[in-house]
Amino acid sequence: MNAPMPAARLDQAVVDLMGQGSFAQAEQMIRAHMSAHGATIPLAKLLARAVRGQGRIAEAAELQGRVVELMPGDLPGRFDLAESLLLMGEFKRGWREYHWRYDMPHTARIARKVQRPRWDGAPIPGKTLLIHDEQGFGDTLQFMRLVRDAKARSGARVVLEIHSALLPLARRMEGPDEIVERGQLPPAFDVHCEMMSLPMVLGLKLTDLPGPVPYLRADPARVARWRTRLAHLPRPIVALVWAGTPTHTNDANRSIPLERFVPLGAAGASFIAVQKGPRAAEALTPPAGLRMEALDSEIADFEDTAAILEVADLLISVDSSPIHLAGALGRPGWVLLPFVPDWRWLLERDDTPWYPSVRLFRQPKVGDWESVFAALARELHNLRY
Amino acid sequence: MQSNQLTIQEALQRASAHWQAGQAEPAEQLCQRVLAVWPGQPDALHILGLMAHAYGNLDLAVQHLRQAALSPRVPALYLSNLAEMLRQKGILAEAEDMARRAVAIDPSLVSAWNNLGIILQEAGKLSESVSCLERVIAVRPSPEVHNNLGNTFIRMGELEKARAQFTSALALRPAYAEALSNMAYLLNELGEPEEACASAREAIDLNPKLSDAYVNLAAAEISRHRRIEALHWLDSLLAFAPNHGGAHMARAKILMRIDRAEAGLEAAERALALAPQSAEAHATHGELLQAMGRHDESLAAFVRAAELPGISRDNALASRAALLMELGRKQEAIEGYEALLAESPRNVAAWSSRTELKTFTPGDPEIAQMEQLLAPGRTISYKDRMALHFALGKALLDAGDAPRAFAHYGEGNRLKRSTLTFDVAASGRWMDDIAAAMPAEVIARQAASGDPSAMPIFIVGMPRSGTTLLEQILASHPQVHGAGELSTLERLVSGIPGYPATAGGLSPQDIAALGQAYLTHVAQRANGRAHVVDKMPANFLHVGLIGMILPGARIIHSRRNAVDTCLSCYTKLFQGEQVFTYDLAELGAFHRHYERLMAHWRAVMPPERFIEVDYEAVIADQEGETRRLLEALGLPWDDRCLAFHETQRPVRTASLLQVRQPLYKTSAGRAARYAAHLGPLLKALEEPAA
Repeated sequence: MNAPMPAARLDQAVVDLMGQGSFAQAEQMIRAHMSAHGATIPLAKLLARAVRGQGRIAEAAELQGRVVELMPGDLPGRFDLAESLLLMGEFKRGWREYHWRYDMPHTARIARKVQRPRWDGAPIPGKTLLIHDEQGFGDTLQFMRLVRDAKARSGARVVLEIHSALLPLARRMEGPDEIVERGQLPPAFDVHCEMMSLPMVLGLKLTDLPGPVPYLRADPARVARWRTRLAHLPRPIVALVWAGTPTHTNDANRSIPLERFVPLGAAGASFIAVQKGPRAAEALTPPAGLRMEALDSEIADFEDTAAILEVADLLISVDSSPIHLAGALGRPGWVLLPFVPDWRWLLERDDTPWYPSVRLFRQPKVGDWESVFAALARELHNLRY
Repeated sequence: MQSNQLTIQEALQRASAHWQAGQAEPAEQLCQRVLAVWPGQPDALHILGLMAHAYGNLDLAVQHLRQAALSPRVPALYLSNLAEMLRQKGILAEAEDMARRAVAIDPSLVSAWNNLGIILQEAGKLSESVSCLERVIAVRPSPEVHNNLGNTFIRMGELEKARAQFTSALALRPAYAEALSNMAYLLNELGEPEEACASAREAIDLNPKLSDAYVNLAAAEISRHRRIEALHWLDSLLAFAPNHGGAHMARAKILMRIDRAEAGLEAAERALALAPQSAEAHATHGELLQAMGRHDESLAAFVRAAELPGISRDNALASRAALLMELGRKQEAIEGYEALLAESPRNVAAWSSRTELKTFTPGDPEIAQMEQLLAPGRTISYKDRMALHFALGKALLDAGDAPRAFAHYGEGNRLKRSTLTFDVAASGRWMDDIAAAMPAEVIARQAASGDPSAMPIFIVGMPRSGTTLLEQILASHPQVHGAGELSTLERLVSGIPGYPATAGGLSPQDIAALGQAYLTHVAQRANGRAHVVDKMPANFLHVGLIGMILPGARIIHSRRNAVDTCLSCYTKLFQGEQVFTYDLAELGAFHRHYERLMAHWRAVMPPERFIEVDYEAVIADQEGETRRLLEALGLPWDDRCLAFHETQRPVRTASLLQVRQPLYKTSAGRAARYAAHLGPLLKALEEPAA
């Protein structure tokens, strides 16, 4: 590769390689170009992605930090940096940079333009604070815990605006003085805060986690109903989730073909499928060696999922909202993570400060679910009830 | 549907509450439903206008609010908001009208007074702006209004008052990016560029999309003589705001200073295309046209800038007069400055230039006028303060009051020196390294690979040693083009890794390429003549390198009495990056280092290529010295070289006034009269260079 490649073609070649998971080759290609033609900021950003894909997060963060230093107005660059810092557990700067998430070209239009100031973390007794959820259900389930801290810190009357699907769970939670469904008119308020900005505003540190757990509770009537419904199954009962929302940007890396779960079939557990969405139907025709009960048509909402998790002995799930629900309920959960996971799972640990009841099973290298399932099968076999 | 039961009043209340909570869709739907039953309903239009504004659609926002303003019972608030949006669109006259209507309808509406205050600020109605904003502060002080008032004070030149306002704004809200950015601008004007940089960086850290902070940061970097960093910040801004006119203008001016006027002109044209009604854009365009030698267009651009509303008028008039001066149209220049000073008696740029154009006599009332501008209690920018001290030094020296003159020179130089980072001993070591790296045999060996072209003529030496005079004499010759002071060679040198130590080891290809790079650059400027003069004095550092890469070039060393040269430097506030002339002891030490390096070149350079001319000799016998010089350059005699002061070409250097006059003999030995004020210089010149 001696002839210089035009920048646009190099870009495309590198992006293609990374799309195929060939991060090392992508890195090599960028570095060759850099040593021949010098480094540019767009190249440094690509290099950071290639390095990050190989799990060298600190090195990626260093590159991303330099880009931000040179181009402070590159807000997508700042968001990239935030994701790396948070993944490394560097919360202080990480949460700050994370707050540029609505200032990128593809997110600016979805930013919610609240016409009142954002709460700055100061005590505001006598005032009203509106906290509103924003992104996926998993995010909301994970960060709902902070409503209680925001209430304590602000001394304000706290109004929580939340997606209708999570309303009942929120109503049983400590913290909010009033709850409104997302999109409905909230009462008048003085200041607001996006739920995912609460960590920045509260100055959340790793050592503050997990806070009181469980912070969500299932509905006792539903739990009773599901206890009856599942009474016929021998213990242990293991709930399974193999796919996240297909529209998620990282879905290809986190969702898993159901066939992969076959090695778990021999462990002697009763499997129930709590998978929702387009891939739920796969539970009706499970691969040979994996018997499971398909519950999709009976699960109306998160209330049902929460009740099932109360009754089941374990949830094995990809990185999707049910694992957050299990963690918030204090129920046992094992989460299957890609080699470079979402920032919330941190690095190089098999537990998580967010949820004491959740264990992490990480890919040892890019795309290696096989090792993950070998470990899962071993652990499941040793599970005693 | 339950909402069908809503009254219009209820629907509007709900729409407003939804919008407060950032729920754009239901807010918009409710407003549209109201407008369907009642077209032109002003409250619905107002909410839609605010929403369009929040989503960045200023034109649509203005359209909604203009329609709302047609309602006979339009509330003052809507007019006030319309006024602000019109200001943002740059429609100042209508903006002012709306804001005045707003305060007339409801004089208790604080936000309307605030909006009127900033509109008046932009319209240049500054004292009325102050009274509006002070009125707001009295009733409801806020960080924003202090920030706004600070900006008005900046435009009035009341810098200390501005500082107090920004300080108040930041006391109320320490993480206020706009106030930090404005503070950065102010600190730079007050001569504290490092603090200015820190403040601007903090502003960017808080709000990475705050464009003005980047422009202010770039200006502060320029004050620190860090042009590359300044360009970087502007590029960094343009990466996310490609249509920021201010950034293009700032970029144009930096490019002009680093000898990339063509690229600078493109940037200025871009700025002008973005804001064809901006006085500042026309003025910047004028400066770049001037740098490209397009003088008629440049004059026209300055005139156009002066006609447009805005605060750039004075600067445009000053630029125009300066260009007239450069073109030798002295009387027009003087008239230009006088007209400007009659209108703006606090315009320091005009005072400075005017001072250069006249000879003062004792008791001249203008001396007192200038001193008044420096009186305690008057706040003027650091740069203006410096310029005034130098102007007063000049005026008082003319008038024969040396003690007071040198007191002003002392203060002006001290102020300037405090902005510079310079180590004269390090300069001396650098010159020693250069001499050590280029002995005679190295130069002779490398010269074999250089380009033999006889086109380049270099004039080198100390600044103020007569280089401009020699250039003017030579440029009057029909075979010679005077290209002014080029930074081409300096740029080539900075691209040689490890220079000077590596100069002897450069490959024949490198040597040839360097020579050709220089020639390519100057050939474009030759105007079809056989020789091009590059009179960058600082090229005295690189005589050896010239000998290698351009062995056919002639190098003229312009020499002048050391004390006279240094005095002339010391009494001059240079435009460009001259770092060693603002302290008498340093100046003397620098001169000693320079003399030693020149002694080295004299010993190692072929004498037919290294020609020395004494300024004093030229003054004593102009014709004799000119003949000797032309002969040394291999040029035929031409009478025009004697009448050089009639040559019609612009002169762009600190010495431009002298070259228009027939040789005057006051310069030689003039320093002797001021020995009492030059102690540290005389001492340093006598000491052997360390």
